[in-house]
Amino acid sequence: MTAPARPNAALFFVARHSLAIALSLMFLAPVVFLVLTSFMTSQQSLTSNLWPATWHPGNYADVFAKTPMGRYLLNTVLYASLATVFMLLSSVPAAYALAKLRWRGRYAVFVAIVCVMMLPPQVTTVPLYLLWATWGLTGSLWPLILPLLLGDAFSIFLLRQFLMTIPDEYLDAARVDGCGEWRALRRVVLPMARPGLAATAMFQFFYAWNDYYGPLLYTSENESWWPLSLGLASFRTLHSVQWNLLSAATLLTMVPIVLVFFLAQKAFVQGVTLTGVKG
Amino acid sequence: MSDRRLSKIAIPALALVTAVALAACTPAKAPKPVATPGVEPSGTVEFWHFFTDREAKAIDSVIDDFRAKYPKVTVAVKSGQDDTKMLQAIGAGKGPDVGLSYSTDAAGQLCNSGAWVDLKPYVDRDKIDVSKFPATVRSYTEFKGKRCAMPFLADTYGFYYNKKIFADAGITSPPKTLSELTDVAKKLTKRKADGTIQRAGFLPLTSFYENGASHLYPMVNAKWLNDDNTSAIGSDPAWKELLTWQKQLVDWYGYDKLEKFRASLGDEWSADNAFQKGQVAMQIDGEWRIAFIRDQAKDMDFGTAPMPVSDNQPDRYGAGYVTGNIMGVSKSAKNPEAAWALIRYLSTDTGAIVKLANLIKNVPTTSDALANPGELATDEQFKVFLDVFQNPNSLHMPITAIGPALEETMANFMQTYASGQAKDLDAGLTGVDQEINKQLQLAG
Amino acid sequence: MALTLGAPGTRPGAPPQGSTSRSRRRARERLTVLGFMAPALAGLLLFLVYPLLASVYFSFTKFDLINPPQWVGLRNWSFLLHDPNVRVAAYNTLWLVVVMVPARMVGALTTGILLTRFRRGAGVYRTLFYLPALAPPVAATLAFVFLLKPGTGPVNTFLAKLGIEGPLWFSSPHWAKPSLVLLALWGIGDLMIIFLAALLDVPQELYEAASLDGANAWQQFRAVTLPAISPVILFAAVTGVIQTLQYFTQAAVAASVAAGQAQSGGGISGTFGYPANSTYTYPLWLYVAGFRYGALGYANVLAVVLFVVSILITGILLRRFRTFLGSDR
Repeated sequence: MTAPARPNAALFFVARHSLAIALSLMFLAPVVFLVLTSFMTSQQSLTSNLWPATWHPGNYADVFAKTPMGRYLLNTVLYASLATVFMLLSSVPAAYALAKLRWRGRYAVFVAIVCVMMLPPQVTTVPLYLLWATWGLTGSLWPLILPLLLGDAFSIFLLRQFLMTIPDEYLDAARVDGCGEWRALRRVVLPMARPGLAATAMFQFFYAWNDYYGPLLYTSENESWWPLSLGLASFRTLHSVQWNLLSAATLLTMVPIVLVFFLAQKAFVQGVTLTGVKG
Repeated sequence: MSDRRLSKIAIPALALVTAVALAACTPAKAPKPVATPGVEPSGTVEFWHFFTDREAKAIDSVIDDFRAKYPKVTVAVKSGQDDTKMLQAIGAGKGPDVGLSYSTDAAGQLCNSGAWVDLKPYVDRDKIDVSKFPATVRSYTEFKGKRCAMPFLADTYGFYYNKKIFADAGITSPPKTLSELTDVAKKLTKRKADGTIQRAGFLPLTSFYENGASHLYPMVNAKWLNDDNTSAIGSDPAWKELLTWQKQLVDWYGYDKLEKFRASLGDEWSADNAFQKGQVAMQIDGEWRIAFIRDQAKDMDFGTAPMPVSDNQPDRYGAGYVTGNIMGVSKSAKNPEAAWALIRYLSTDTGAIVKLANLIKNVPTTSDALANPGELATDEQFKVFLDVFQNPNSLHMPITAIGPALEETMANFMQTYASGQAKDLDAGLTGVDQEINKQLQLAG
Repeated sequence: MALTLGAPGTRPGAPPQGSTSRSRRRARERLTVLGFMAPALAGLLLFLVYPLLASVYFSFTKFDLINPPQWVGLRNWSFLLHDPNVRVAAYNTLWLVVVMVPARMVGALTTGILLTRFRRGAGVYRTLFYLPALAPPVAATLAFVFLLKPGTGPVNTFLAKLGIEGPLWFSSPHWAKPSLVLLALWGIGDLMIIFLAALLDVPQELYEAASLDGANAWQQFRAVTLPAISPVILFAAVTGVIQTLQYFTQAAVAASVAAGQAQSGGGISGTFGYPANSTYTYPLWLYVAGFRYGALGYANVLAVVLFVVSILITGILLRRFRTFLGSDR
């Protein structure tokens, strides 16, 4: 391949970056709106003045004063972390069995798992809620955390697809060496599947972090278990919404997971370059 | 393990799970019997209501008075709750003992389903005279003969107008009929050079602030249901009159321009409220708007009046829409006697009612309280609403088992017709009829 | 070649098998599979079989959450045939499926490809593109709808400066659904990340081989990239369809904000579908029928129908693109 001429490379560079910057601005605009609103007075928020007439960084302190954000944060971290760990424990082996082991009924079980996602949540909630109420676990986040020990359909599906992109040759080599399936999974497959694992874990974590309807259903009567998402809702009441505080609280809710994402993205973007052609 | 053995485990497990679930749906224990009179109520009562901030504080102060009167009863108050949360909690057996509902829509559902218990035994035992409540109030606290709710303050809807804008245009009194309303609205509307609306005399869209189907229909005295409980909307000419009037005014503004204007207006409850900022010269609103204006727009010169009425029914002027909040005792209440004591206090104790009404600037519900409403009697702007409340022509929507569906179905069509999406008014109204009838059938 | 469990076979270099040790091995292999699958299988019972059976059962009952369900036979099901709301709701949801799912997939793929071209600054751009997906959905929808407010909103003000009269966006019956698609495109980060991970997994050698054969960028994309990431594309399509069939929160919040009644308490369901029912999705109607109007039995009818439709569409997708699932039969 001939080396590209110098001006061409520069042109592509500029084009790439301008496009990326333009997209970034569009993605950022509503977040910027939230930032600006978080510094306004309550009167000015949601009016057509987009730039704060007066700056009130005290809003952020107000958020902590009005609601126990610390406890909400703790609950959220608990929920998201346990959910992610439990999900990995139950879903990774299942995804592996569906992707790499051959057994009768494998495809049927896979389709059944995909079917779990197809039941509308408004309808699964009622029978499940009744169940948890009988077991006395409502009023806490456990009805949302414990089920992840039994796998998560979305995660199993995603992990399976990722695992299927790993060529079987590596596994066969391990099996020939006498490796049991568990060890094959741990030693051979998981390291290669790190991008997929990281992505799936991250999605579960963020989903739990921002989950609103689940905690609303199970913990709304018990404030000591509220996560941040419910705490946000406490700024909205019947006759007034404090948009400025709500925006500040929303941004505070986002900061931890943005950091998590920024730090963790290396884990799954580290592309696994495979030698040898797939076949 | 073979597949056959697997299914041997799976099926019994499934059966077990289903059995547990169905067990969870078994009926609750039999209701506790009503105690004999003279027993002093005691125990804990959990009270859920929807108010917040200033209004919640008002409730707290009255609850303190109750505590002083019944020292053996402990009241735990939870503010900021709504109907959905309440229903869910009751269904799971853990709801409040006393619930305060935001609107009367739910009365039919709450009574029908038994979520709120029938209070008639208590009313009879303590010899409460329900004729102290006006007829409309009685109508929205009972359903099919069951009195499952007691009223908690009332709201009346009337007409607000900006006196300064009126004076500038040389108009001295508020419009009394729909055609007068149209004329004044057109006169007071100001447009910018490019044709966009700068100030609207009256914003006729159903989605604007407190317009809504339930608050607009009293102007024409339209009927919702026939006596046989089927929808009357398609057959009552008053509905046609209302929607035609609305569409004509909307078309005069231009729907697109009007919608753009409406979307640019401030939040109803904020200081940016369009009426308070003079962007809308006249509006239909509830009596609590007075308190908001005095709090958020102290210098505003405004007037209150009853809503305009149809040109065909000028003697109805003075009527309006009456509604209120309602309270009930949950089916899952652990302490129904104490719960009833609280409800009885809040709904019939004249001192409590007058205090609450003055604090929140709502309308008191009993005839005793109305006779001596304290400061509210001398409040000229508020007096209009007291009169509307007691006007025998004032209306409240019928209570049905489908609750909010009745109004929402109609409001939906009104919006669609006003926007021009639906072109045939008669066919549309008949369609609403059919929809409502089906929903009534479904709810049983 | 991969080993097939349970099949009689000889591994190269293995000692000859007797029938008992073969069946013992098979039993051990089955046990292994069970060990891997046990939690997920239990999960299937709890999250699929039980709710599905309950749902079907409830669909034949009159159920209002407060009292035990009463059997009413086919009454709810016959209501389905006459329900005008369900036609509007189904149309809106299907419209969104047809438009939103491909739009998101194309958007995610193109932004993902764009990101693969960066070596420096990739992390920053990635975070910025992903940021919207990290915002709590309610607050995000609110901010987005507010920006697109007709009249005084920033977007229309900006367009006016360019001499363009902006549409009414979320307040226009014709533009409301496209505006929801824009909202979904704005939140494209999560799908983009999945594609990015898959794109980065494609071995460089394949591209080099293709360009040696004289393929240009587009041909390389078709011949190398697409096949290599096809399992993930299928995943995106299937989950996209399923999730869009259940599209609820954003439609509800957008409608209530656009209608100017963005508060809770009194029940925002009065504003669902604003304007003129254009954003009334099927799950919204399901929610209103079940939880606002107290007809939970009928809501379960709607749910079962939705489930069946989801299976049909997913089945079609899975069959047509079976090759993307790898050898699994």
